[in-house]
Amino acid sequence: MSGSIEVRGLTRTFHTTVRRPGLAGALRSLVNPERVAKHAVLDVSFDVAPGELLALLGPNGAGKSTTIKMLTGILTPTAGEARVAGVVPYQERERNARNIGAVFGQRTQLWWDLPVRESFAILRDIYEVPKAEHAARLKEFDELLDLSSFWDTRVRHLSLGQRVRSDLAAALLHDPPVVFLDEPTIGMDVVVKEQVREFLRNQVEERGRTVLLTTHDMTEVERLAERVVLINHGRLMLDGTLEEIRRKFGSTWQVRATLADPHAEVVPPPGIALLRHDGPRVVFGPDGPDAPTVHQALKAVIERFEVTDIGIDEADLEDVMRAAYVQATGDA
Amino acid sequence: MSLKALRIVWRVTALNFRAQLEYRTEFLLMVAIGAVWQVSVIVFATVLLTRFTGMGGWDSSDVLLIPATRMLAHGLFVLFLGRMHWAGRQIQEGRIDVYLLRPMPVHRQVQLAYFPTNAIGDLTVAAGLMVGALSRSDLDWTAGRITYLIAAVLGGMLLEAALFTVVASAALRFPAADYWGRWLEELLGTFGSYPLNVLPRAVGGLLTYGLPLAFVAYFPAAVLTGHDTAVPYWLAAASPLLGLLAYLGARLLWRWALRHYSGVNG
Repeated sequence: MSGSIEVRGLTRTFHTTVRRPGLAGALRSLVNPERVAKHAVLDVSFDVAPGELLALLGPNGAGKSTTIKMLTGILTPTAGEARVAGVVPYQERERNARNIGAVFGQRTQLWWDLPVRESFAILRDIYEVPKAEHAARLKEFDELLDLSSFWDTRVRHLSLGQRVRSDLAAALLHDPPVVFLDEPTIGMDVVVKEQVREFLRNQVEERGRTVLLTTHDMTEVERLAERVVLINHGRLMLDGTLEEIRRKFGSTWQVRATLADPHAEVVPPPGIALLRHDGPRVVFGPDGPDAPTVHQALKAVIERFEVTDIGIDEADLEDVMRAAYVQATGDA
Repeated sequence: MSLKALRIVWRVTALNFRAQLEYRTEFLLMVAIGAVWQVSVIVFATVLLTRFTGMGGWDSSDVLLIPATRMLAHGLFVLFLGRMHWAGRQIQEGRIDVYLLRPMPVHRQVQLAYFPTNAIGDLTVAAGLMVGALSRSDLDWTAGRITYLIAAVLGGMLLEAALFTVVASAALRFPAADYWGRWLEELLGTFGSYPLNVLPRAVGGLLTYGLPLAFVAYFPAAVLTGHDTAVPYWLAAASPLLGLLAYLGARLLWRWALRHYSGVNG
């Protein structure tokens, strides 16, 4: 089964009442409410290829969770259409549910009062997974997520890290081709985060699952995603690779060099700007939209100048995304 | 429901029950609360039998059939369909979102959220009351009457489930509707045990055509004991059927509301 996700013009509009200030305003709103349409998601289109991990990014309230809810069949879009593994999720909810796994970092899909393993067994029955297959998959997940140390504990007694690892396993036990992860590592310690990232990488690379991930953790994005979709105020702002995002949003690298000849004339290579020149020390940065990557720039500088020392400063993804969010907010 | 689905329902229910048993004190407290919750009905029955010869033209033994039928219907509702009463909380906790992710009807998952231990207390008191009512009754309990009584209890269960399903459907869109469920429970408990002809006509009318409480136990008891009511005999006699139809209608409303579910937190 193809695990692709196709989203075309997806829109979800909520109608809310305008809150007027003060007691008199509140009373007026009660008698004569002013209703406004708020577009949580507006005309969003993108594709995720089978076996691809796409990070859906955006500031709080951007529309990420609403998009995921429409793709998982929880919400029906106001307009547009979506297909997940060939199924329209909001029209065939139960069929779609068999094709997907989902983890919402702040909610569990396990039975609160039951030991984790009992929840797994119930899900096996619900999804009609053969017993041998279920046991083999559980063994594999145990090796990756260390589940057996706590799977006889009731869900209500688990730590957050244990609970989310259990939820991840529960979401994948029926072998879905598509997985939705809404902030899966929120609130976790670094060790468990790394364990979860390893697990996700394994599921994408070894099992070929299609993953749509939302997160505010840029380390996670950098480690897992090749491509990101950025949305803000419900609109798609950017769909591209991490490199494209780095290129688009500001000066994201600097090459610092110490020249062997302090009096040499400094004419930078194409696409590279001279930012500072202080005796033998020079600093280069990208120049224009066709600027090279930092590694290309490093090579070009070494080829053009005789240097005694050279280094690079690259803005981390956190800085890049901050710039992207600020620009996206300004554009909206 | 298919055999496979039934097996899953049984398995989850058994596991939930076992989970409740593991907390012994909590389990016993829940059973006790189920029984204690019905204390007003027990007091009513005791006062009725010891101080009065009847009420609204009904003998005490006939009146006793009303709370016995209502409580048994209520106990079965709590046991089989009662989680609908707490659907509002499940909606506000976002659990409906999780249910929508599974290939299983959401209504069934709401019912399987936990085991209703308090139903054991409810049903114990209700069964005791029904045994008492039947033993004091002067009626000839023919097979037809017994069948009608069973149908009335089941119809009452379905009618109560229908009312709470309507509230839950509203709560899918307006979370504050959950408070109406508490009011409804209070109303059913307060007025469900009386022959409604003792109430002013307008109130009786409201509890017949507005909130159809009269169809849970009052009309079936009147049919069994041969008392006249404010509605035609055929309508009173059709109470179990009306319970079934109301429940089916409420389930359709639930499905419609679920299709228009807009989630919590936006």
